[in-house]
Order: sequence, then C-alpha cells, then structure tokens
Amino acid sequence: MNSISREEIANGVFFNTIKDSRFKTTKLSVTFALPLTKEFASVNALLSGVLTRSTSAYPDFTLLSKKLSDLYGATLGGYVRKSGDKQIVIFSISGLDDKYAFKGDNITLDMSNLLCDVIFKPKLNGKNFYEEEILQEKRQLKDLIDSEFNDKRVYSLNKAISIMCKDEPYGLSRLGTKSDLDKVTGEDLYSAWVNLLQKATVEIFFSGENGGEVAKSTLKNFFSSYERFPVNTENTIISNVQSVKEEKEVMELSQSKMIMGFRSGVASPYNDTMAMRLAVAILGGTAHSKLFNNVREKLSLCYYCSARFDKTKGIMTIESGVEKENIEKAQKAILKELDDIAKGNITDFEIESTKLSMCNDFVAVGDNEFGMEVWYLSQVLCGEFESIEDACKKVQAVTKEEIMEMASKLKLDTVYVLESK
Amino acid sequence: MSIKEVKSPLVGDKYFKVKHKSGLNIYVYEKPGYNTTYAIFGTKYGSINTCFSANNGEKITVPDGIAHYLEHKLFESEDGDAFTKYAKTGANANAFTSFDKTCYLFSASQNFKESLEILLDFVQSPYFTDETVAKEQGIIGQEIKMYDDSPDWKVMFNLFECLYHNHPVKIDIAGTVESIAKITPQKLYDCYNTFYNLNNMALCVCGNAKLQEVLEVCDRMLKPCEDVKITNYFEDEPYEIVKDFAEQNLPVAVPMFNIGFKNKGDKISTSKDMASLDVLLAMLFSSTSKIYRELQEKELINQTFNYEIFEGEGYSSVLLGGESRNPEQVYYSVKEYIKDLKENGLSKEDFLISKKAVYGDAVSSLNSVSAIANNLMDSHFNNREMFSYVECIYNLEFEDIEKKFDEVLDYNNSALSVVR
Repeated sequence: MNSISREEIANGVFFNTIKDSRFKTTKLSVTFALPLTKEFASVNALLSGVLTRSTSAYPDFTLLSKKLSDLYGATLGGYVRKSGDKQIVIFSISGLDDKYAFKGDNITLDMSNLLCDVIFKPKLNGKNFYEEEILQEKRQLKDLIDSEFNDKRVYSLNKAISIMCKDEPYGLSRLGTKSDLDKVTGEDLYSAWVNLLQKATVEIFFSGENGGEVAKSTLKNFFSSYERFPVNTENTIISNVQSVKEEKEVMELSQSKMIMGFRSGVASPYNDTMAMRLAVAILGGTAHSKLFNNVREKLSLCYYCSARFDKTKGIMTIESGVEKENIEKAQKAILKELDDIAKGNITDFEIESTKLSMCNDFVAVGDNEFGMEVWYLSQVLCGEFESIEDACKKVQAVTKEEIMEMASKLKLDTVYVLESK
Repeated sequence: MSIKEVKSPLVGDKYFKVKHKSGLNIYVYEKPGYNTTYAIFGTKYGSINTCFSANNGEKITVPDGIAHYLEHKLFESEDGDAFTKYAKTGANANAFTSFDKTCYLFSASQNFKESLEILLDFVQSPYFTDETVAKEQGIIGQEIKMYDDSPDWKVMFNLFECLYHNHPVKIDIAGTVESIAKITPQKLYDCYNTFYNLNNMALCVCGNAKLQEVLEVCDRMLKPCEDVKITNYFEDEPYEIVKDFAEQNLPVAVPMFNIGFKNKGDKISTSKDMASLDVLLAMLFSSTSKIYRELQEKELINQTFNYEIFEGEGYSSVLLGGESRNPEQVYYSVKEYIKDLKENGLSKEDFLISKKAVYGDAVSSLNSVSAIANNLMDSHFNNREMFSYVECIYNLEFEDIEKKFDEVLDYNNSALSVVR
C-alpha cells in the first residue's frame, strides 16, 4: 500500500519518497528550515510569496495561473511556518496523477519541472527581483498579517505565545512584522534567496505512485550546483517558571477568550514525548476529555475549552471561549482538572479511551492524501523518524504513573485574556 | 431491499446504492487499501425548514434555530451522551446542521461496526425533557455569541438580508437567544417525528468497510419506519433583491466584503447545471481571469478573494467574497466586467483551461473518504447521481457555458455587504 524511503541527495538535502498507489494525485514539496530571527522572518515570508508569483519562463502571475489551470488545476503553494525556534519555508505542487489526464498529458513531469523553476529560476533583474512583484507581495503579506487579527481565536493564541516566549525565537511571528517588511529591498530578497539555497537544511517529499525518481534526479542536479553550508538549529527548552505572566486586553466582542500557557521541559528529540501527549489529550484533547466533560459540559463555564501540546518546545496551551464574569471561575476549574491528573484522579476508562482515540487519529493520517508527508515532516524537523504503527504501540504502553508524572511537570507560565467590553 | 452498483469508467471507482427495507437510503463506497471508514447519517432537514406539515396534517411553525437545537439534544440519550459511547470505540465523532440538512458522523480506524451501531442507535432514540432542553440554552447561547463576533459569518448573513425578502435562509442557523428560548420538548418531538423518518434520511459510508458489514449492522439496528409525507412551506420569494447594500462595524484589520448575485431559485440544479456553473465561475473569477488581475493590480483585492455557488430549496445565488480596502470599487468593477462580457461574449481559450482545472478538482476530491461520503449525501438530497458531475464536466461544450451565463449573474439584481 505505501512505503517510505529516505536519501541524502546533497549536503543537508534529504529526498523522502512515499510510494502510494491509492490516491488520484501526486505531490512534491520542498521544505527549507532556517533559524527563526527577527532580522530574516519578514524577508523569508516575502520570498515565499514572490517566488510562487512568477518564474523566468512564466513571467507574470496570470501566465503562471493559466499554466497551473492547464495542468488540471494543479496547486502551487509557497508558505512559511514555525517549527519550534525554526522558520520553515515550504514550496509545493500537487495535482492529478497522469492516468486521469484527458489524452496522454504528462502532468507529473510538468509539475516537478515547474516547482524547480519556481525555486531555482525566478524572474530576476540581475541580482535583484522586480520592484512591482515585491510591492504586490508585500501588500498580500501585510493583509495576511492583518487577517490574523480578524480571527480572534488565532489572534489570542498568537498573542499569548508572544508574551510567553518574548525572549525566544518561538515568540516571533512566522510572518514577521509589517514595519520590518516595509524595509525589505530587492537586494535583501536576493541575498535571502541565495541564503535559503545554501544554508537551509532541506527536506523534500514526493508522494504518489509514479514520477518520484525523475523528481529526485532533477532536484539533485539543481542542489548540486550550489555550494552548501547547512546550519542546524537547536530548539531552546525552558522548564522553570519564575512567576506567572498575566496580560489582559479589552475589545468590542460578545465573548471573551482566555489562553493559558504551560511549560514542561519535556520536548523532542531530547525526551520521549508520547506520555506527555497522552496526558495533555486526557486533559483536553478529545470530545470526552476532562476539560470538555467537566469545565464545558458539567459546569457550563466555556463554549470551547481544549488543550494542545507542542513537542518541539515542551509547551502546552489551553484555549477557551468564556463569558466575562466566568473568567476567574474557569481558570480555577481548568487548573483543578490538571491537578487531578497529577494526583492520579484518572479512571482507567479515561486512559484507555484516550489511547484509542489517539491511535484512531494516527491511523487516519495515513489515509489522507498528504497526511504521511505531514506525519514524517513534523518528525524529521525535530530529528525523529517513527512510523504510525510504532507510535500506536508506544502510546498503548504508557502507564498511569507516567501520565501523573507528566501532569506534575506542567507549570503555568502565562495567562492572556481578551476581554469583551 | 434493492442494491444497485454505480460505476464511473472515467475515474475507475464505484459505489453501491441501497434502498433498505426500513426505508433508509444507503450508499457504500468501498476504498480498498484505506485504513479508516467515514460514515455520515443525515436527514433532509435544516434551519430553513421552520414551517411544514406531516401527512397533509395541520401546518406547524416552529422557532428559528430548532434544527440545530435538536442536533445538540439528540447527542444526549437516556443512557448518556454519544461522545462517551464513542469513547469506547475510539471513533472520532461529530455533527452539524446546515441550511438544508442535519448530519451525524464519525471516522473510525477500528471497531467500525460498534461505532456504526452507536450512530444508528442514538439518532433513532430521541430523549427530550424540560430539564435537558433548558440546560442546553446556555451552551447554544454561547455558540450564538461566538458567531456574533465572527466577521465572515456576519458579512454573509447581512448579504442574505439584502438578497432575500422572506426566505428563511437569511436567518442564522442557530437562531437567536430569544428564538431558542421558545423551544420545548413537544416542539422538538414534532420536528423529530416529521423529519427523522428513515425515508427522509440517508446513510453514506466510505473507506475500509464493506457493503455486507454495513448492511448486517443496518438490518439489526434500523427500526422499520412508516413513510411520512412532508410538505415544506416557504413564503413567496420575489426575484428582486431587498436592497443593494449593508454595512456593519466589527473589530477587523482589513474590511471584509460579500457580493451576491441572486438567481431564480425555482429549481434545483442538475449535475450538468452544476458542472456548467462551476466552469463558468472558474473562467470568470479564478486567478487566471482578467478581473482577478485587474483588481490585484489596482490593489483592490488580495489572495482571500473567492467565489461559490449557494443554492438549496427556493434560493440560489452566486457569491463573491474577500478582503478589500475599497469594497465599493470592487463591486462596481465586477458589475462592469460582467456587463462587458454579457455584451461581448466569453473566451474559448478560458473555457478549455477552466474545464481542465474543474475536472482536476473533481477527480482529486475522490481521495478523501469524508469528501466522498459528504458528496454522496448532498447528491442524494438534491436528486443527483454523484459520478454524473465528473462525466458532465468531461463532456461540457462551450455552448453549455454560454447558455448558463445567460441564466445567471444578473448585475441588476445583486448586492454588496461590508464589515469594516
């Protein structure tokens, strides 16, 4: 059904092939990982937009869009993400497998050539990008930064992380800031592009039935023409909390939001995080979790209340939507649920059902067209490589004592409240 | 019981369509090699069905938001809530209410039959008392408030207020704090007994599960059901819009807009109508189009610009949306653009590439078990055969698009809604 193989095709460039015949599509993605810094966050974010806007062969976005449409609506993407203290710049293309083309079109080959053009053959004006392209993408990016304000769940979570991690790269926005973006010049962008090709560690994924070998040799040729000095970034892991940071903001809203951030010191690849992930899921990761059943259903204190764990930093965040007058009550109720786990007030049913639910989610990932890519990418970025089957075995083996120990390591660091007027 | 096999030579897949002896319509789309199965059990009953009669009986009017309320309450049976039952099987469960249907679903990589038993059991076991009904008011009230803070939700409903005089599609799916206060156990039973009869429902399953497994559980769990003749009443809806502009202030960084072109809502689209309209909209508004380029260059739209078909019983419109610092100018430019194309005609080159792109999207969507099962459900309730949509795209001619263009996008019957 599916199998994965991994090979280093240039210094710090890895090609991962997920061979899978079940899907009607193929996908190729190239992920560059660099340290997240205030200096480069904006320029890298801008680069992801400018490179996917045009190429030397398709020199404006209408021509490039028409080419994609002609490739049966293939999707070209350029994104930036955050993985721990790293900034991730991703370029990807996906579309129909050749066997569904109308008459002998070679979609897969065309797609991998197009993605290589996007990354390696941009539309350049000497050692500079074109001003008009830069201005258009700056505008798009500023609107994207602004739109994270429109969705108050996204806004409040980002705000809480920026308060909690203000002295770590993780506290920066993956998109940088509008004022830093204004300062970026065409020369800056050009040197960021060269920097990306030379210094980033690179993870490439091909998923699909046919076409992986051709994509591999094409990308190998391109990367071989660059001198490479890949930089490895280690994530900073903090386990001690001196005092709880509290911040409040007031806005014209009907419902208030509260975000609580905790540190554990338990993070990949230094520790095995499976027991911690299970503990966090028992607390607030399922529709039968303690937070859902007790704080939402029994006490009716929140409309939503859930917990998630970031294994790259060892950080747990709890998000909730609450009535203004219930904020304090909700905070106490949430802390009590966490304390209950640490004290061992957990039923066997809670443990077993959460294990089942986590395995169910792991296995479901493998049935998603690009789920395997997401599964392995998130692991290789923090130095791991574990199959779905192994992850299921590992979660099954976690004991109640380990869960209690993990809960006791979670220390409240930050409380951020977005209060309705 | 009848079993029919439906095949698509074009995409190389097939599904089974079953009319069960209980009255339920069952679809099973096997996906060899997949590890999970997605099952969705739904009724053709949504927020718009607030005035109806059963078996030619008396006409009943119920409070706004009752279909959504009923969905929340069905999750709770006499012997505990559904989430707790699913916790024993590991399935990932959920439910939703839209304008024209209410659905209960799960995704399972193990214990499929047990999970299906839970699904069929709780949806067939209503349990509403004064206490349980009162308890839900708080939680749903909070949900309504959360939507009140959501600019993309408000900008859409404000547009519906502009387009529709009487049609209940303009009313929030969850109702209002005032309307849900009027819900009683008796009213919930009235709705349940009318719309939750198996003849008005469908079960769609896609993934690892086999037809025989599904039927074995259905034979055991489905209670035979008398067919109920349902009549939905909608007030007459004029073709003309109510007003062409609405505006609301909410904390947003970039103003949001929705533009709606109201169509005649007198019939449900066929597969060919859907295929023609999807290709037409891709030609007119996708990133390959002339207007997309023009609006981007004038810095009037950004990448959030989008378009969709919005239709159901008694309503149909084409919606455009996005963020803009000058929505009025976007609206004006779009109307001028359509006017120009109506006079001067569409481009054949645009047709050919848009047809390929829409075809590619349709085939790609068959990767996902949830997308397939949801699509089977939608197709069933709208009297369409799922695969015929892909076949129709494949066979589309330029003339089909020209004909469709004559029927829709009346720029004199449109409106703009803005949140800033």
